[in-house]
Amino acid sequence: MPVGESGPSAVPGAAPGSGTLPVLPALRELLPRGGLARGSVLAVAEFGLLCLALVAGVSADGAWCGIAGIPEAGVLAAVGLGLDAGRTLLVPDPGPAWPQVVASLLDGCELVLLRPPARAPAQVRQRLEATLRRGRGVLLVTGDWPGAQVRLRVVTQRWTGLGDGHGRLRACCAEVVANGRGEAAMTRTRWLWLPAENGGVAVADPRDLPADFPFDVPAGLPFTQASPALRAVSNG
Amino acid sequence: MVVSCPGLCCPDGRPRDPGDFGDFGDSGDFGHLEAARLLERVIAVVTGFCPKVEVVEPGVCAFGARGPARYFGGETALAARIIAAVADLVVESRVGVADGLFAALLAARGASPASAASPGRAADSSSAILVVPPGGTAQFLAAQPVSVLADQDLAGLLKRLGLGKLGEFAALPARDVASRFGDAGEYAHRLARGLDPRSLAARPPPADLSVAQEFDPPESRAEPVVFAAKALAEQLHAGLAARGLTCVCVQVRATWADGRESSRLWRHDGLLSAAGVADRVRWQLDGWRPTPGDGAPSDREADAGQHPEGGIAVLRLSPDLLVRAAGQQLALWGETVVSDRVARAAMRVQAMLGHEAVLRPVIGGGRDFADQVTPIPFGEKTEPRLAADQPWPGRVIGPAPSLVYPAAHEAEVTDDAGEIVTVSGRCMVSAAPARLAMPGEPPRRVTGWAGPWPLSERWWDPAAARRRARFQLATDDGRAWLAVVQDGRWLIEAAYW
Repeated sequence: MPVGESGPSAVPGAAPGSGTLPVLPALRELLPRGGLARGSVLAVAEFGLLCLALVAGVSADGAWCGIAGIPEAGVLAAVGLGLDAGRTLLVPDPGPAWPQVVASLLDGCELVLLRPPARAPAQVRQRLEATLRRGRGVLLVTGDWPGAQVRLRVVTQRWTGLGDGHGRLRACCAEVVANGRGEAAMTRTRWLWLPAENGGVAVADPRDLPADFPFDVPAGLPFTQASPALRAVSNG
Repeated sequence: MVVSCPGLCCPDGRPRDPGDFGDFGDSGDFGHLEAARLLERVIAVVTGFCPKVEVVEPGVCAFGARGPARYFGGETALAARIIAAVADLVVESRVGVADGLFAALLAARGASPASAASPGRAADSSSAILVVPPGGTAQFLAAQPVSVLADQDLAGLLKRLGLGKLGEFAALPARDVASRFGDAGEYAHRLARGLDPRSLAARPPPADLSVAQEFDPPESRAEPVVFAAKALAEQLHAGLAARGLTCVCVQVRATWADGRESSRLWRHDGLLSAAGVADRVRWQLDGWRPTPGDGAPSDREADAGQHPEGGIAVLRLSPDLLVRAAGQQLALWGETVVSDRVARAAMRVQAMLGHEAVLRPVIGGGRDFADQVTPIPFGEKTEPRLAADQPWPGRVIGPAPSLVYPAAHEAEVTDDAGEIVTVSGRCMVSAAPARLAMPGEPPRRVTGWAGPWPLSERWWDPAAARRRARFQLATDDGRAWLAVVQDGRWLIEAAYW
């Protein structure tokens, strides 16, 4: 399967600066500075492999990461993407005092992935954002967070490899949309193998998509207009 | 002076005279642990009269009587007081006084037991006291049979030689005894002559290294308590350093005015500064703070005075597991070094939510995705529950699911006709799955499926045996699921998206 591994050379002018935490190469193009800006909040619409991929990229660089409020987080999948399980703290149930728990975790970890157990009042959000700016960490929230600098969303996804009673799950092609505020205001859309057949995350080429891919993507994206005859992919 | 409690001695199986028990307790067969606890209380009582007490053997303790006897007005008066005090614990005791430990032990053994161990009859205790006058020890010993010697082989030999009394043995020249009977004989000879082979090894009572501060009136705000904790920690460290010691753990115990206690052990390893100890006190108190209703981090001042406990009355820091202060050496190789910063953060969360709330995942083996990750509470040894280097046939290969539900979700998988899809004992599927419905969610159309993959685990253990058939299902919303059929029910164990 010709999967385009996005190396550093494929990312134009996105050398991660010191003010960012690194992400997996295939995700760099989605983020304004090619990484997670320290002291910022990112929101991912729903918990899934995209969240784990973001955590794994930071952890693979040697940073400590915390995962709070997500008891079902698939650590094994994250380890497959590069997460260092030895540098991960899990707080499955942060309880009603979750803002304090998250603030404490941010003291020790570079990145905290959080699903707030309850809707966060504006005051609580501002306090946590202030803690973030002091500590230079990154908070990755699943769900809605009004002050998030970057929002990521998986719009469409499709698994390959399953037939009618045969095969097995092999890879998932997903369209990820990023937008946000400030330098992230421009909407970026990328097709990714999430995960790719080799277990990593890779940039997907539209021509690799399965022939029966449901194209319910919003019209107007360059990719759909220019889509040539799609080539079927054999999934052995 | 020797105090002997016949009811508490000889737990090692030496024959006990049933009469010795008197009316101690209700029966003679109390457990050793109970006896040890009671003995500890007896020792504590005796320590009240003289701090330097040596426990000679179970149920018997000895101390130098000269000083305390002068203070309490004579050896007999002191002994009577001790017997009365020990009788308060419903333990009968006898007291022997002599110039040496051996003679005093014999004197205590020779004193007839106090007739009844009841506090009201302490006046009768004079029969339980035997005082050998100063200088009379040799004479007292001379009348004892040689069988009182601990070395029964030697005692038998002496008896066969016609030496029935200790006095006759003591009359032998020391040089001849040494050449004929060796070291053991010389030792026994010294005992028989009333010479102590060694002086009493009475140790001073252990110093109390814990430090405490009382708050009067009880302090309801955290700040003053934490501030006091810093001073207490400095005091504790100074006390330890003066003795060349350090502690592995420090116990922080806060007592509220209503009597409730919060006690927690914190890892110390001699590495914590006073401020570090104070931090831990703060976290511990934070953990006990009632959580505000909106879940917001509230000002300490804001909810001061709202403590239903009424404030902290006593704060005590106790060093636990004392070791000699020998410096610290980190391992050259080993597990991921947990930096101070991370450890502080994790312990702080543990203080708020409990030890089990902060986990470190350890990757191991297993057939289920849930089994392959062992969550270990932070600070404990990280070891997977199931070994990773085993083959684990039957595990699902391919990408790992991004969601592994701690408790599998109930689901219904139906075919085109709306019937529940079943799996036969021969692992045949009744029909192709067409719909996946989970409670509270709209049903999804199944676009692709694979299975059933049978898995029969631990059939030899009825409690842990499981027979399951696993499926991977892809649904029209682009997601995929790992479903199992167990006992005719469909469960969603994990999800991929």
